[in-house]
Amino acid sequence: MNGWLARFPVRAAIGLVVPALLILWWHWRTSAQIATFAPPAAVGRALAELLHSGDLLRDTLSTLKRAFVGLAIGAPLGVAAGVAMGIWRPVDRTLGPLLHALRQVPMIGWLPLMGLWFGVGEGTEVIVIGMSAFFPSMLNSHAGVAQVERRYLDVGSILRFNTAQRIRFILLPAAMPLVLTGITQALAFSWIATIGTELLTGAGSGLGVAMSQAQVQQRLDVMLVVIAVTAALGFLINQIFRRLRQSLLRWQPSVQ
Amino acid sequence: MSPYPHAREDRPPTAASRGALTISDLDKSFQIGGQARRILDNINLDVRPGEFVSIVGASGCGKSTLLRLIVGLDTDYSGELRLDGERIATTSLDRGIVFQDHRLFPWMTLEQNIELALLNTDTPKARRARIVADHIALVNLTGFEKAYPHQLSGGMAQRAAIARALVTEPRLLLLDEPLGALDALTRVHVQNELQRIWMTQRSTMVMVTHDVEEALYLGDRVIVMSPNPGRIRHIVEVDLPHPRDRRSPLLHRLKDEILAELTSGADAEEARDNLVHLPSREVR
Repeated sequence: MNGWLARFPVRAAIGLVVPALLILWWHWRTSAQIATFAPPAAVGRALAELLHSGDLLRDTLSTLKRAFVGLAIGAPLGVAAGVAMGIWRPVDRTLGPLLHALRQVPMIGWLPLMGLWFGVGEGTEVIVIGMSAFFPSMLNSHAGVAQVERRYLDVGSILRFNTAQRIRFILLPAAMPLVLTGITQALAFSWIATIGTELLTGAGSGLGVAMSQAQVQQRLDVMLVVIAVTAALGFLINQIFRRLRQSLLRWQPSVQ
Repeated sequence: MSPYPHAREDRPPTAASRGALTISDLDKSFQIGGQARRILDNINLDVRPGEFVSIVGASGCGKSTLLRLIVGLDTDYSGELRLDGERIATTSLDRGIVFQDHRLFPWMTLEQNIELALLNTDTPKARRARIVADHIALVNLTGFEKAYPHQLSGGMAQRAAIARALVTEPRLLLLDEPLGALDALTRVHVQNELQRIWMTQRSTMVMVTHDVEEALYLGDRVIVMSPNPGRIRHIVEVDLPHPRDRRSPLLHRLKDEILAELTSGADAEEARDNLVHLPSREVR
């Protein structure tokens, strides 16, 4: 407990110094010219207002749900595709070129087409978010499986592993560091894609929807609240996943 | 009565009925730069059940290739390789191997690594934990069951690899320079362990090494090979019971003989070719 008190707040506080200085500077700059930039106090009032009305909670929950549904579909498919391409060369030869070409299209670029096919709504958004989680998971899993060392596969052969055993006990665990790197990227990409699609489609609820509505209503204070919440949530999700990654890779000699 | 309670002579005859390796007219070539290069040339060797055979030779004499063929990782050869009369066509749980690098899976604990070797055996699940614990005890690693390979020292990891290779009770255990990466002190320690394990376990063992002293200390016979292409040059019988005394005059005499053999004639030329020639300096 003492150790925690001694170390943790100091470390966390170091990360808060720069934001605090920015807020101070912001307060000092904007107290004179309220029209062009909302001062911290106004943003604080907007936060209280949004919390009280429940709008912020509703938007946050819809965004989180959308992001996680997209991630839950896209990341496992990406890992499966990447692993399959890494293990079976014919799969790589058949699907590889198509997938590598498709991933050159920025995710937002799919929105108009998907909108035409599936209509502007939840389906389209989840597909685009899923795709943005799919590609980084696929690329990293593929690389992870492809670079598994021959000497470990020899051991599997000596122990008479069948294909399923080879995948489960050698290829997947050996590829795990890169698979998890892929999922870390997928988290970031799907978070960006979620806010992006919400901003562009602007339907229902969500943090992106709230941003575009605030723009229409010229509510600078609301916009800043939503941006801060988006940033904080993204940061938090990433931190949680980092912990998970560390515990999954505890067998590595140097996991920081 | 033998002075050594665990000496080979005291073994019941049943233990000696399996693990006979027969190598006849074995040739092996690799394609290097579009040309076939002969690596092993006309190898003939019979290893008796329960025997410990050491193979020494200069680098490039094909001794590691020979083990890869026996274990079944490479099946492209001509001639005959048989274990107890059965032709070797692929890998088998009857043939275990320990490499110079321990090759434990880094993502599993010591215990999980050893238990994984039992995956495709018909050992009942209920007995596996007990067998794994016994083999960890056999290599003196009790207490390190939950350690990951990176938490073990080189000697410990190598002993763990020996336990993994033995847990399936192979009829033949191959050792490919198993102690080559260890420091001198650890090496002597693991050599003693290996001798004790061999006397307890009673499987046939074939060890490749570049350390003549190690080969003589452990082997019932030492096969001396010559390179380019790899041939059996000489077979030395080491007529001493186990456990052996390192100070034995016989071991020292044999060591001098084998070293002289390895550093003379064609091998010595080979060794000279491998030397880096520095420009000689004029003495003023």
